[in-house]
Amino acid sequence: MSSHVEETLPHEPERATLEGRNKVTGFWLFLGGETVLFGTLFAAYLTLRGQLNGGPSANDLFDFLLVAIATALLLTSSLTSVFALQAMHANKVKSLIVWLVVTLLLGVGFLGLEIYEFVHYVDHGHGFTTSAFSTSFYTLVGFHGAHVAFGILWLLSILYQLKFRGLNTTTAPKVYLFGMYWHFIDVVWVFIFTVVYLMGKVV
Amino acid sequence: MSSPTQDTTTQYPNAKRTRPEGAKKHIIAYVFSLILTFISFAIVMAGELTNSFVYTLLVVLAILQVFIQMTFWMHMKDRGHTFAIIAILTGCLFVITFIIMAVFWTWW
Repeated sequence: MSSHVEETLPHEPERATLEGRNKVTGFWLFLGGETVLFGTLFAAYLTLRGQLNGGPSANDLFDFLLVAIATALLLTSSLTSVFALQAMHANKVKSLIVWLVVTLLLGVGFLGLEIYEFVHYVDHGHGFTTSAFSTSFYTLVGFHGAHVAFGILWLLSILYQLKFRGLNTTTAPKVYLFGMYWHFIDVVWVFIFTVVYLMGKVV
Repeated sequence: MSSPTQDTTTQYPNAKRTRPEGAKKHIIAYVFSLILTFISFAIVMAGELTNSFVYTLLVVLAILQVFIQMTFWMHMKDRGHTFAIIAILTGCLFVITFIIMAVFWTWW
């Protein structure tokens, strides 16, 4: 720990300590690995999306409105996490927590919509084992949903730490990394709604 | 190890002013992302164009949107992000290889 207790935080508290800087660097390496993970799932989906085995096709299942709402929720939550980070850089803890809670709620909304969507598809005979298309679809989109679910749990733990330990050079890198993670999830969703949903509707 | 939490909010009485100037460009990035998303949806819903043209346009729009979000929201344009760019580009190199293999090798 630094020898003095700061009255104010340094300008970029997430980079103020060596540990914080190492975390940011390490996290980018992790995101590179995540890119490869999602890349393999996209490649599998693109290979298998035509193999219906008598089950419903992408065009039968997907609904523009549902995807548009999900996209809007996740995109907006990405923006609110930017505002959270700006509040952190301005050293405004209350505003930081408010924006993080807004991000959390939007994330929960997205996840709820995805659960509804999956239940709806299963009711239409599109189960996990129906076809190679359905398996690769649920694996790709479900993996993304699992990342959102993990992000929500992560955010809850960060909110807990901000509430009870405050914003300092230990908690600031955690907030920053969560922001990076959340943007990455949004970036992956851009490819999912493009490759899975919109290309699925092109007949 | 007491945490310096109490002082952080009280020392900014003029709370309106303290939002950094950066907020504007993030809102612009958001609006651009919305517009690109809207165009993607519109060209598919219109259904007037040939399939291969729509596919190409969709991929271009997605890459453009990801580029905007990564530069503005993930700070890739800021200095000291060489390693970040190397990490992500290495990931993308693998991904492009996988997808080319999957799409152009498996079924042909």
